[in-house]
Amino acid sequence: MSDMVEVIVDKRAYNAEKGSLLIDLLIKEKIKVPYFCYHEALGADGNCRMCMVEIEGQKRPQIACDTFIKEGMEIRSTGENIEKVRTDILELELINHPVDCPTCDQAGECSLQDFYMDYGLHDSKVTVTEKVKHDKHIDLGSNVMLDQERCVLCARCTRFTDKITHTHELGIIGRGDHARVATMPGRKLDNPYAMNVVDLCPVGALTSKDFRFSQRVWFLDTVESICHGCAKGCNIYIDHNKLKYQDDRIYRFRPRRNDAVNGFFICDEGRLSYKELQEDRQENILFNHKEIGEDEALETFQTLLETYVSDITVVIDANLFNEEIEAILEFSKEINAQVCAPLEIYRDEAFKDEMLKSANRAANAKMIENLNIDTQMPAQSGLLINFNHPAEFEADKQIDFRTHQQTQGAFILPIATYAESEGHIMNEDGMIQLCQKALFKNDPVPTVIEWLEKVRS
Amino acid sequence: MSFKFSDENLREIEALKKRYPSSKALTLPCLWMVEYQEGFISLDAIDEISKHTDTPPMEVYRVATFYTMFHLEPQKKVNVQVCKTLSCKLCGSDKILEHLKKKDVNIVHVECLGSCGTAPVMQIDDVNYENLTTQKVDEILKEIK
Amino acid sequence: MRECKIVSRKFDLEDAHTLKVSKANGGYRTLEKLKEYSPTDIIKIITDANLRGKGGGGAPAGPKWELMPQESEKPSFLAVNCDESEPGTFKDRQIISKDPHLLIEGILITCYAIKAKHAYIYIRGEYKQYQDILQSAIDEAYEAGLLDACDITIHRGAGAYICGEKSALLESMEGKRGHPRLKPKQKEPEWYFGNPTLVNNVETIASVPFIIQNGADAYKAYGTERSPGTLLFAMSGHIERPGVYEAEFGTSMMEYINVYGAGIKNGKKLKAVIPGGVSCGVLTAKEVENLTLDYEALRNVGSALGTGGMIVMDEDTCMVTALKNILEFYHEESCGQCTPCREGTGWVDKLVGKILDKRGTKEDIDKLLDIADTMNGKTVCVFAPAVSTVIVSFIKRFRDEFEGAL
Repeated sequence: MSDMVEVIVDKRAYNAEKGSLLIDLLIKEKIKVPYFCYHEALGADGNCRMCMVEIEGQKRPQIACDTFIKEGMEIRSTGENIEKVRTDILELELINHPVDCPTCDQAGECSLQDFYMDYGLHDSKVTVTEKVKHDKHIDLGSNVMLDQERCVLCARCTRFTDKITHTHELGIIGRGDHARVATMPGRKLDNPYAMNVVDLCPVGALTSKDFRFSQRVWFLDTVESICHGCAKGCNIYIDHNKLKYQDDRIYRFRPRRNDAVNGFFICDEGRLSYKELQEDRQENILFNHKEIGEDEALETFQTLLETYVSDITVVIDANLFNEEIEAILEFSKEINAQVCAPLEIYRDEAFKDEMLKSANRAANAKMIENLNIDTQMPAQSGLLINFNHPAEFEADKQIDFRTHQQTQGAFILPIATYAESEGHIMNEDGMIQLCQKALFKNDPVPTVIEWLEKVRS
Repeated sequence: MSFKFSDENLREIEALKKRYPSSKALTLPCLWMVEYQEGFISLDAIDEISKHTDTPPMEVYRVATFYTMFHLEPQKKVNVQVCKTLSCKLCGSDKILEHLKKKDVNIVHVECLGSCGTAPVMQIDDVNYENLTTQKVDEILKEIK
Repeated sequence: MRECKIVSRKFDLEDAHTLKVSKANGGYRTLEKLKEYSPTDIIKIITDANLRGKGGGGAPAGPKWELMPQESEKPSFLAVNCDESEPGTFKDRQIISKDPHLLIEGILITCYAIKAKHAYIYIRGEYKQYQDILQSAIDEAYEAGLLDACDITIHRGAGAYICGEKSALLESMEGKRGHPRLKPKQKEPEWYFGNPTLVNNVETIASVPFIIQNGADAYKAYGTERSPGTLLFAMSGHIERPGVYEAEFGTSMMEYINVYGAGIKNGKKLKAVIPGGVSCGVLTAKEVENLTLDYEALRNVGSALGTGGMIVMDEDTCMVTALKNILEFYHEESCGQCTPCREGTGWVDKLVGKILDKRGTKEDIDKLLDIADTMNGKTVCVFAPAVSTVIVSFIKRFRDEFEGAL
C-alpha cells in the first residue's frame, strides 16, 4: 500500500509516492533536469551534481537523486539561480573534456552535447591551456572501446559490472582529476552483457568497437523490434540506413526498455545478431543448384504438390511470426499436409543464464506450443516443405523456404527475414510483441505470406 | 611470478579477521603487509589479497591506486618524501628540494606530513627527519646508505 | 593568559607514554568513576560540558554521542580519527606519542557511554613512528587487563587527506576507496558495515577523562561560554618558537603568538595568519590584533577556528605563492568523486599558477571567485567549500597583490 502525497514542481501539483526519489518523479513527468550518474537500473550515486533543484525551505540546492518525496514539498527546477548552478557545473564537466565531437561516435546521442545545447550555450572561459590527459582508444575487449579523456566519471559502467553482472572488471582508479575508468592491467572486460556499458555511458567514453566510425547516428532510422536470439524476446531498437547508391543496411541493435521482459539490457550475442540478418542471404530461387525464374518455380511447386498429394509434410521454423505460422497452417489444411515444428533442436542449456538468456533459442516457440502443433521430428515423407527449419529431414523430395544460403537442397526459395517484414512473436512468458519492419531493401525477397499467396493463385 | 604471504603475515591476517565485522576491512592492512613484505604491490599480490578479504580483485586494485603511499611498481632508489605544503614552504623546503635534486634518490613531493612545527621535514622509510638544513640532509643520507 | 593542562598535563614527563608513568601520575583513575555513573550519565556530563569536537568542525560532542543507540541488536563501534592531515596541524601526534594512555582512557570511557565493545583508531599512514608508540601503549593496556571490556585496533591509512572526513574514514575502514558518503536527511549515527558508529577526533576523546573526573563545570571554567575548555593550538611558519601549546578558548591571538610563539621569526612584522589549518580563511595582521581564539570570534570575521593550527606569515610572504601552494594541496587531495570538486580544484590551481607566472588577467581573478562560488555548497562533502573559503578569503583580503601579479 503506497502512500501518495502531493508535491509542487515549478508551480504545478503532482502526486508521488511518499519516500520515493524526486528524480523518478521528474523523469516520469518529463520535467527536464539533466543528469549523468543516475540510472533507474543502477540507482543513484550523487556524484555528477547535475540534477540539482531548489527546494523551498532549504538554503542550498539539492540533488534530485538523493531527495525523497515528502508531503507539501515545493521544488523549482527552473529560475535564474538554479540555472546558473547547472551551467556552472556543466562548465566544470567540459573544461577537461576533449573536443572530439568530429570523430566521436557518440555525437548526436551524447548527453554532454544535449545538456550544453539545453543549459549551456556559453563561450569557453577556460584560459588555462593545460588539459588533463588520459589514454584514448583502449580496447577493453568484448567489442568495447574506452576513451578515458571523454569520461565524466559518472561511474555507471563500474556500477554495472559490480551490481548487475557481478563480474567486477571495471573500476575507477587514481584520485582527483587523475581518476579514470580502467580494468586491471592486462585484464579485459569479459562478460556476456559487456556491451551494455556502451548504452549506459552518457558520453563517448565507452563506444562499440563494432559500430565504431561506421555511421553518424542522425542518419539512422530507428524501428522497434524484438531480438530473435532466444525465447526471452528482449525488446530492441533496430537502427538502419540506406546510403546513396547502396542498399538499406542495419547498423546496430540497441536495447529497448521493457520492465516486463528485459529491463534495460540485452545480451551481447543478441545485440550482435543483427549481422546474420545481412550475411549469406538466400536471394534467388535455386532448382538443382541452378537459378530459375519465379514462374518456373511456381509451376514446379504445383507439380510437386500434385505428385505427392497425400504424402506432404510441412515443417515450420519456430522463429517465424505468428501471422506467418497461421498462414502456413491454413495452407497446410488446404493441401492436407501433416504439420510439425520440432523444438528439441533449439534447446541449448549452455546458453541459459540467470539474467536474460533462455535455454530455448527459438524466438516464437511458445506460439508453436500454444497452437498445439506437433513438436516431434517428422517421419519419412514423400514431399517435405520446410519453412526455414534448421534440422535435416528425410523425404523423397524437399522444398526449402530459406532466409540464408544452404550447402544442400534441391529446390530452394528465398524468404524475408524478420527484419524485412512485420509481425508478432510470443516470448516464453506468453507475451505477444511486435517486430516492426526494419529493412527496406532495393530488391526485397518475398515474405512467407507473399509466397503462399503466389502459390494459391 | 606468484605471490604468497609470509607465514607471519598469514597469522596476522587470521588474528585481524577476528577484530572486524567483515573481512573486507582487511584490504588496507593486507596492502600494507604486501608493501613491507615485497617492497611493492604486484597484481598477483592483489589477487591474493582479494581471496583473503572476500573482495573482487578490481576493488582491491582501485583501493591501492587511491592512496599515495602504496607502490605498484618495484622501487629502485631510496624514496625521500619531502613535504611541500605551506608551513614547510615558508620555512625553506624549496632549498632542501634543490639540494636533494643533486643526490641519487627518488624525490617524492608529498603534502603535509604533520610536522609543521619542525619544518622543513622529510620522511624516509617511515622515519621523520625534522628541522632540516642542507647539512643535516647530507648527514642523514650518508647514514642511510 | 593562564596555563592550561587538560590534555597536555603529562606531555613533559619522561617516559610519559609508558603505563607505569601514566598510572603514577593519575592515569586511568577516571575508570573508578564508571562505577558511579551509568552510560547515559556520562553522556549527560559531556553534553553539559559542551565539549566541542576538535577535529576542525567544532560540533558539540554530546549530541553526537546521544545519536548512538543505547539498545541495539547491532554492535556499536567507536572510530577515533587520527588522520590528522590538515596542513598546519600536528597536535594529535603529540597526544598519541607523548600520552597515549590518556587517549586509551578516554576511549574506554567513551565506549562505556555509547555501549561499544570495539574502538578503532584510524591513523594516517605517515605517522608510523607514533603509531608504534601508540601500539605499545595499547599492548601494555591489554597486558594489564585494562581492555577487557573494550578492544582497540589501530587501522593504518595510506596517504589520503580526504580519509579524515568522517564518512570517508569509514569507507576506507570498510576496505573501499575513501569517498565521502551522501549525507542523510535526518540525524542519525554514522554506520560501519551497517553498525552504528561514533567518529570523534583524538583530542576530543583525550579531553573526556578530565571532564568525567572533574565534572562539567570544571571544564567550563576554562574558555568562553560558547567555546568552553581548551584546545591544543599550534603555530608554524614564520614564528620564532613553533610548536603545540595548549590554551583555553578566548585567549587573545596576539598574546598567544607573542607569549608562546615568542613573536615573528627574525624580528619581522606579521602579515597574515591562517588560523586553523589551511581550510580556514586567511586573516590580515590587523584582524589578528583584535581576535580571540574561539569559534564564534573567527566565524564573525568570515574565517574559522578549525583545528587551531596557526600558520604565521611574515611581511616578505607573497600571498599569491601561498595560495598556489594551498591549492596544489587541494588539487592533490581531492578524492575525485563529484564534478565541482574534481574539476574545480584542478582549474583553480592552474589559474593561480597562471597569475603567478605573470600571464594572468583581471578576468582570471574574477573567474577564480566564480569557480569558488560553484564549488560552495554543491558537493558531497565539505572539502570543496573549504577550497572555496580559502580562495575567497585570499582574494578579498589581498586583492592588490593578485592584481599586482598580472
